[in-house]
Amino acid sequence: MSTLRVVWYSIVSGANDYWSIFTPKSWVFGWLIRVVSQVTFFALIGTLLQSQVQTEFLLVGNAVMVAGMGATFALHQPTAERGNGTLPLLLASPSRPVIVMLSRGLYVVADAIWSALLGLAIVGPAFGLHLPWPRSLLVIPLTALVGVSAYCFSTFLAGVIIANRNINNLVVNTTIVLLMVLCGVNVPVSEFPAWLEWIARCLPITDGLEAIRGVLAGDPWSSVAAHIGGELLAAGGWLALALLTFGRFIRAGQRDGSLEFAS
Amino acid sequence: MIAVDVQQLERVFTPRKREPVVALDGVSLTIPAGEVHGMLGPNGAGKTTLVKILSTVLLPTSGTARVLGYDVVEETQAVRPLIGIVFGGERGLYTRLTARQNLEYWGALYRLPAAMIRPRSAALLERVGLVDRADQRVEQFSRGMKQRLHLARGLMGDAKVLFLDEPTTGMDPIAGREFRLLIAELKEEGRTILLTTHDMVEAESVCDRVTLIDRGRVLATETPRTLGTLISRFQRIDVGGADDALLAEVAAVPGVSSAIPQADGWTRIEVSEEGATALVLRRLVDSGITDLRTSLPSLEEVYVQAIGERGLDV
Amino acid sequence: MRAFLAGARVQLRFITAYPDMLIPFITAPLFTIVFMLVFKHAGRQDLTAYAAIAPVFIALWWLALFNSGWTITTERWNGTLELLVAAPSSFGAVVFGKIATTTAIGTVSFFESWLVARLIFGATVTIYHWGAFLLTVFATLGAMAGTAVGMAALFVLARNAVTFSNSASYPFYVLGGILVPVSLLPHWVRPLSAVVFLSWSAGLLRATLRAAPIHDFWPHLGMVVLLGACGFAVGLAALRVILVRVRQSGELSTT
Repeated sequence: MSTLRVVWYSIVSGANDYWSIFTPKSWVFGWLIRVVSQVTFFALIGTLLQSQVQTEFLLVGNAVMVAGMGATFALHQPTAERGNGTLPLLLASPSRPVIVMLSRGLYVVADAIWSALLGLAIVGPAFGLHLPWPRSLLVIPLTALVGVSAYCFSTFLAGVIIANRNINNLVVNTTIVLLMVLCGVNVPVSEFPAWLEWIARCLPITDGLEAIRGVLAGDPWSSVAAHIGGELLAAGGWLALALLTFGRFIRAGQRDGSLEFAS
Repeated sequence: MIAVDVQQLERVFTPRKREPVVALDGVSLTIPAGEVHGMLGPNGAGKTTLVKILSTVLLPTSGTARVLGYDVVEETQAVRPLIGIVFGGERGLYTRLTARQNLEYWGALYRLPAAMIRPRSAALLERVGLVDRADQRVEQFSRGMKQRLHLARGLMGDAKVLFLDEPTTGMDPIAGREFRLLIAELKEEGRTILLTTHDMVEAESVCDRVTLIDRGRVLATETPRTLGTLISRFQRIDVGGADDALLAEVAAVPGVSSAIPQADGWTRIEVSEEGATALVLRRLVDSGITDLRTSLPSLEEVYVQAIGERGLDV
Repeated sequence: MRAFLAGARVQLRFITAYPDMLIPFITAPLFTIVFMLVFKHAGRQDLTAYAAIAPVFIALWWLALFNSGWTITTERWNGTLELLVAAPSSFGAVVFGKIATTTAIGTVSFFESWLVARLIFGATVTIYHWGAFLLTVFATLGAMAGTAVGMAALFVLARNAVTFSNSASYPFYVLGGILVPVSLLPHWVRPLSAVVFLSWSAGLLRATLRAAPIHDFWPHLGMVVLLGACGFAVGLAALRVILVRVRQSGELSTT
């Protein structure tokens, strides 16, 4: 029960932090315009290629990618804690740091998912994306799944790099573009050699995105379900890995003194 | 030769949505070349504002200030190569660069000939005792080391006039003492130094003259010894274990201004005349009291209790 | 001039000191891969030039937004802004030296793109019009630096600089036609694109990588130079305001 309480309070504090940074105005004119532009940028490639199929492929892929991208920002959390001076306090508290970190960032994930859906809803019609009804409603929970899955992955990564405060931004940006390359966002993973496709399917986003495309294309439910299962597996796997290793990385950093508390 | 000449300097800040703040209210000051001049005052007295104006960082609202004969407002470009600024503190250095790299950068900005930059950086690092850490990143430096690097930075341009703004704040006593030795050396070289501090001991140990400043106004400019005398007049004695009769007797001694019980059970006896301390102490010791402490009030307390009410009386 | 060089030299040192500055050089080849994959999948190897150029603009613009743009603000946070103002050297020259260096280094991304196209996809980027190519590159770098000076100065003065910085990437990639030419955008957007120098630069660079003769080279180049100069002029004016704010009102003081 106390774990749930930790989770709840962490969510609330994370949300409060978030809204102290963003006002509704700056969210719309700053963030949302960027999201819409990002999806548009890639969708336009389809226009260049004079292919509606390509356009829709790129549009859907990059809209869903926004959920993954936003979730990857969770990697910034330890640095934020460091900057606030709360990291050592967190580590010294009875609660497991990974639970607190996971919970504090949930608001970021919610925002990422919401942004992705808005991106799809705004840019989709502009490019003639057809959303079959009511199947398309499934896109909502599936996008949420992709966001959560990416979040579990980035929480694991946050543990890996927790000792090194300098490379945070570098890792976030690289991770985002790498996910764009590998996860079937812009080209189907079936185009990759087998070993690369295997890696792609271990990563978040890949299967979830295929499920979403399958829903929109009217694919058989069995194939969609298989992809959903794949994404659930990825999410669960990265979550388990994060829970198992986060504490270990912290202790390693504390042992060899590489865990820096000051920002 | 006058190194620094300040006449009726005023500086008013008008922050947004707040009342204007008068940081300097008609400050006048003259510092002859080669003097180490202390600026002593509590936080918010206007010391940093004055230093910023003299170092051309800030413009005055009215009045004039000249450094080595050049007006800081009209002849800014003539002033800048002649002065060195040591603002101090944790900031003001590029922490991801090494000590040497920091100095070489500022050397270039102070228009040193290219051939001179390296040798001068090396010499200054040697001088401030950082030569072993010359190629270490500043982020690894302690507070005292950063402060010494600040001083080296201020000397890169071979400044004739140095402005040091609370340079030893936060330093441990040994580091502080070493720093003061450096300042004495700089004085030997004929440089003029304006040093701000709120530490009376520091002002006494290093300065030829000290200006007392509070709330943007100069209260006095004296030698440290004179100031010390002023303040030692207001010495106080803390007594433990004295009974009421003894305390009443002591309170009646000429030159004692008050005897007030404190929360910890001791009594604080405030003295306001020379010689009274000795009388009080003798009386207490003769009565067998051994729980005794004497102390000097802080500068703020002197202002608040004595100078503020009575004005300065030498 | 010495101030410019001093700024340039210290900026080079910062590159090794701050890992963040490597970001565009890691993402540029990755973006090249993304674009090349898309074009390959669509059987459009003729668009290799497009795939090679866009990442360069992404890298250069990133450097302007997240590095150059924050040059002066970081000096302020670092406590060195007032020291810089008080130094004999020209503040503007130092700032420009830093920004010019960062911008120049951004060109490494072009070599990265070219290498990725070559080594991973076996595609070559051929420069058909060398003179025009080099002129366009120089004009682009100049305009990028000029715009970055504008950003650096404005970010100090504007309250929502952080929001702008974080969101001004993709909107400008779209408006600037860095991958997909502006001609494919809706009509109502094109006037906006016309005032973004990226659109003229990108168009010209793509043209230099095509065998066909280039139309209206000089007018288009002129637009790049003009818009870059405008950014620079805005920056200079804003720099003056900054100096006033430092010295007159003391507003930018952090002590």
